[in-house]
Amino acid sequence: MTAITFELYANLARLAGAREVRLDAGTGIVTVADAVALLARAKPELAASLDRCACVAGDTIVRRADAMPADGRLALLPPVAGG
Amino acid sequence: MAHPVLSHTPIAIEPLLELDAHPDCGGLALFVGTVRDHHEGRGVTHLAYTAHEPLAEKVIREVEDATRRRYNVPYVRIVHRLGDLAIGDTAIACVVRAAHRAEAFEACRHAVDAVKHTAPIWKEEFYADGSSAFVEGCCIRDDLDGATPHAHGHPSHASHG
Repeated sequence: MTAITFELYANLARLAGAREVRLDAGTGIVTVADAVALLARAKPELAASLDRCACVAGDTIVRRADAMPADGRLALLPPVAGG
Repeated sequence: MAHPVLSHTPIAIEPLLELDAHPDCGGLALFVGTVRDHHEGRGVTHLAYTAHEPLAEKVIREVEDATRRRYNVPYVRIVHRLGDLAIGDTAIACVVRAAHRAEAFEACRHAVDAVKHTAPIWKEEFYADGSSAFVEGCCIRDDLDGATPHAHGHPSHASHG
């Protein structure tokens, strides 16, 4: 995987000033947790919010221990408040 | 095509009721959540709802199915509004048709709570002083600190609803 695209929602997008962040993955990014750690290093302003985010590939929640999805896209969903 | 559960335009309640169907049902429970003009003491002028739409659609359909099974009711319909809403606009509608009123009320309450707590939808409130904030919500990560799926970790029930 050469690049990872993070989709940001709600206050995460506001903190980053962008709906998407694209990062070069380099080597060593195997799991979802690896990718989230990469994002925290690249965007320190998001770091404190990432622990309470769910990670989603397509329409499915993935766990930190899961392998990164093959397409390199990961959505980060902060705590929800519908209704 | 399956019925819509997310709507970028105002929600029409009447078509959701299916009053010309379900002759086996003697109870209809309807909850409509509307935009309120205050939150924790601050004046609210309007709201914006955003969602991760693919997962939100899936979650809401799962809530409908699970509610039908759990309460043994034939009809559960939920629609959540997205986009910019004014005070008084409908944010969410939930209709349950059931044989009797008790399970209609219970199923309706359960379904609305489940959507609030699990569907990836966010509410940004805009205040009278020109500022805005996302309402504190429920963490839907299911592998935090070894927690069981959907551990219910949010600070304040008073902060939403």
